[in-house]
Amino acid sequence: MTKGKQLFSAADIDGAVGKIASGIGDEFKGDFRECALVGIHQQGVPLAERICRALEKKFGSAPVLGKLDISMYRDDIGNRMRLPPIRETEIPFDVNGSSIILVDDVLSTGRTIRAALDALTDYGRAGLIRLAVLVDRGNPEFPIRADYVGFTAHPPEKMKVVVRFEEDGEPGIYAVEWKNQNL
Amino acid sequence: MEWTRKDLLSLYDLNAEEIECILDTAAEFKKVSQRRVKKVPALRGKTVVNFFVEPSTRTRVSFELAEQRLSADVVNMQAQSSSLLKGETLLDTVKNIEALQVDLVVMRHSATGAQAFIASKLKCGVINAGDGAHSHPTQALLDIFTMREKKGTVKGLKVTILGDILHSRVARSNMWGLLKLGAHVTLAGPSTLVPREFESVPGVRVCHNLEEAVEGADVVNLLRIQHERQTAGFFPGIGEYARFFGINSDNMKLMKPDVLIMHPGPINRDVELSGEVADCSNSVILEQVTNGLAIRMAVLFLVAGCVKK
Repeated sequence: MTKGKQLFSAADIDGAVGKIASGIGDEFKGDFRECALVGIHQQGVPLAERICRALEKKFGSAPVLGKLDISMYRDDIGNRMRLPPIRETEIPFDVNGSSIILVDDVLSTGRTIRAALDALTDYGRAGLIRLAVLVDRGNPEFPIRADYVGFTAHPPEKMKVVVRFEEDGEPGIYAVEWKNQNL
Repeated sequence: MEWTRKDLLSLYDLNAEEIECILDTAAEFKKVSQRRVKKVPALRGKTVVNFFVEPSTRTRVSFELAEQRLSADVVNMQAQSSSLLKGETLLDTVKNIEALQVDLVVMRHSATGAQAFIASKLKCGVINAGDGAHSHPTQALLDIFTMREKKGTVKGLKVTILGDILHSRVARSNMWGLLKLGAHVTLAGPSTLVPREFESVPGVRVCHNLEEAVEGADVVNLLRIQHERQTAGFFPGIGEYARFFGINSDNMKLMKPDVLIMHPGPINRDVELSGEVADCSNSVILEQVTNGLAIRMAVLFLVAGCVKK
């Protein structure tokens, strides 16, 4: 995979995670007992973990952490020859009545979030659902917007925005050409 | 890795990575059946035809339920009520089905290779639910999934498949899948039903003595004894088979204490295994059925993703 053009640095990511955590903490006034952070595979998962750690640090407690794979809810099955492998879904709390913050690294068309909402609905009736994203590309195909945003970025359509964390090597946010991507 | 096949015909064709991909996908689909809403929209709008030229109840019901839990539209066709009786060729029959804009065909047929032939001619995805004595990939996959779930890994496991190996597509599919994942396979049973030729496959041991076959086994997978074989002279009688090859609490002592007792079903109590063994805590026969549903959901999902419009 080519590295691509860097849009934001690793330090910028840390700053954005802190900003998102502050926003969440303010909304819930530091009380996360009815709250859950659900990271959407793939990169929403490590992002949710980081937000959780930031909340723990700032407020002394954090919401329960979950993860969601939306492969079974995609609207493009059969349109792509290569299906990404299904990753683990773990919803270790009762969705009914919960305040859930969906977390994803990049908000683009909004279809992933639409699928995540359908998936959560099959688990129960959430009290409220918020969306936290690291990067908002500002070009949704659906009427979906994020409640907590790290950065906005507008690379050309043909570029994919890729978020890399420390464990991926060369952390930062990059714009990479679509054809070189692994979905 | 990504799944790239529009058909699932035989485990012989797959590599270890592809098999693991199905198992990993099935692990996630297993969770769906444990939820409040046991359904996902993955195959919504897709049409699946269950074309069972050779009849089946258990496999067909399992596939049908898997398809429904994926929100697919399901059509069932049985040979007895089909145009094949009117002299239509198999290929014409299936092409007619395809003309109805069907996405997937799940097929069982008594002739080896029928599904492979059809798959090469159709744009729809084809899933083999059993062809002759050749292949039954979803059964072997659910067996292997059960072993992996209980033992953590399949690699290095001592697996004994016991019974009428000669006529069994379940045995063959299990054998290929297990060898690809690094298990040790013993095929066992009466010499009339377990030909030595199988030893030409690297990694396979053939055994006509029960005690030797099950000693130290991690898994014992029992095949159903069909009464028709008795009348064809393969063994003198059901009673004799049960006496020499039936699993009971005595010969279970030769196996590892945490051995898995498996059977594709339906079981014949006191033939392949005693009632006591069927109901003991080592028996995972009912879990196999649950896992079968998850495996079939996974296979339908993966194959559907590769069927081009």
